[in-house]
Amino acid sequence: MVEHDPRISEGAVNVSVGGFNRFVGPLFRLPETPGDEIRRFAFIVTDKHMNSAGTVHGGMLMTFVDISMSQTARAVSGAKSCSTVSLNCDFVGPGRLGDVIEARVKVTRRARTMVFMSAELVSGDHTLLVATGLWKVPVES
Amino acid sequence: MTDTPSPLPGYVPTKLVDPFEIFVGPVFETGAPGSRHFIFRVDERHVNMRGVLHGGMLMTYADLTLGAAVWDATDYAPSVTLNMHAQFLKPAHAGDIVEVTPQLTRKTRALVFMRGDFTVAGRTIFTAESIWKLLGRD
Repeated sequence: MVEHDPRISEGAVNVSVGGFNRFVGPLFRLPETPGDEIRRFAFIVTDKHMNSAGTVHGGMLMTFVDISMSQTARAVSGAKSCSTVSLNCDFVGPGRLGDVIEARVKVTRRARTMVFMSAELVSGDHTLLVATGLWKVPVES
Repeated sequence: MTDTPSPLPGYVPTKLVDPFEIFVGPVFETGAPGSRHFIFRVDERHVNMRGVLHGGMLMTYADLTLGAAVWDATDYAPSVTLNMHAQFLKPAHAGDIVEVTPQLTRKTRALVFMRGDFTVAGRTIFTAESIWKLLGRD
């Protein structure tokens, strides 16, 4: 297994354990701060995540925010998995090679079968992406 | 360039330059610039642990194909994605071939509005709308 990168907080959990998540990862869930309603995730940008303009590919940013919001939907619903129904992303600024990109996810409303969320991706002081999305909680779970 | 053969006859590999697109590709196409039709075959890299095509891969494919259509519509002007709205209608699985013909909704001096209906075996599984900014244009 890879050595722990000191730029990812101690206690972070690798959430990219299989499938496409693992292929694009590693991606981490950061430890929760008591009383903080924001859930945080992070990854470090490597060569495979880039576009030819020298910035992080929009597809990777959308993938990362989708995974972070899906993990949050699972956590708050208790379901084994939830499905993305709709995701709207604004690309606010570029990410760079070597950046530690953090996702901050907030649950707007948890209904019986749906989870409404918003999220932003940040690198240091810079906002890279803001998103809102809607997830479906499966009936049997 | 890819050595992977096209999953359907009559298609050629789409020229990919972005490392992330090469990483998740290949993608194939047919048709002339401005009316290109794209396909990719879902493989085990693209699915989640339940065997369902990952939304991140679909949005990456949408960014790639709609972006290629923006290039066609602007004579290869440099541009960036400003916004994408994605709707996930049905799951897809490994082995499925996902097809799209991007549609130009509107083009202004500085902005391009694109959309795509993504199908598997003729049924729409995913739709995406994106807005692109042409760099250096007010």
